[in-house]
Amino acid sequence: MPTSPSFETIEVGSAPQPLVCGPLTRTQFVRYAGASHDFNPNHHDEVYAQANGNKTVFGMGMLAGGYCARQLTDWLGDGALQRLRIRFASRFWPDDVLTCTARVTAKRSEGGVNLVDCEFSAKNQNGEVIVSGDATAALPKQKG
Amino acid sequence: MDLTAAGKSFPPYEFHVERGKIREFADAIEDANPIYRDLDYAKGSLVGGIPAPPTLLRTFLYEPRAAVEALKVKDWSYIVHGEQEFEYLAPVLAGDVLSAQDQIISITEKESRRAGKLQIAVIETTFRNQRGDKVQIARRTLVETGKRISE
Repeated sequence: MPTSPSFETIEVGSAPQPLVCGPLTRTQFVRYAGASHDFNPNHHDEVYAQANGNKTVFGMGMLAGGYCARQLTDWLGDGALQRLRIRFASRFWPDDVLTCTARVTAKRSEGGVNLVDCEFSAKNQNGEVIVSGDATAALPKQKG
Repeated sequence: MDLTAAGKSFPPYEFHVERGKIREFADAIEDANPIYRDLDYAKGSLVGGIPAPPTLLRTFLYEPRAAVEALKVKDWSYIVHGEQEFEYLAPVLAGDVLSAQDQIISITEKESRRAGKLQIAVIETTFRNQRGDKVQIARRTLVETGKRISE
């Protein structure tokens, strides 16, 4: 695991490496359905999804949100998150490639805790926002 | 939706945060972080155990139906999950036994040019661990649209 940034070294505008997920498969949707208990048939049953007017099954918003959260914990450290909000903007489909990005929007200290506010999103290969959101993390001070 | 459901609370339900479930969930979001798999590594980390990934507790909210049934939605194909929020108050670790309580905190109405009249419900779930500590709050926003949303 890479070392998490300290409060002193992170800046407004700091960003992790983009996280690229995909091309996504129906099998990944099914695996997330099993792991998450989200058995809405629009996500795994092609016949049902098409009868409902969809071109095929589509991915769970929380799967895209899970990728974004994974990028944040990889970047800011395990246990750092204080708050996470995910907004579901658009659907995503098999063969889509999602790219997650994040950046620091503010740094502040509250009651002796050093906090950074971040915004993040996952976009598809056409640049459309699939999910977006914001988060707050507590970061340790530099050691020594 | 039934606007009078706003403010209603529901009986708490219990579930176990299992190590195998955490690993399965980490696999499903392709998260290779050893903290979800290696107990010695996790115990040596600042977290002190195998933690729940940040979005894990949402997965325990699909089965209890009391809060969503109280919304009295006529046709779920008009419902979209608009937003999901988590507040992390204390670590949730493998082995914890959580008690979760749902409350419908608000139902509001709004006009949308694209989707007609919207009704927006926020369900808040408060999670307490086996010691009674409040560890996490999840808020899901469900939106009933006036028109069916499709491509």
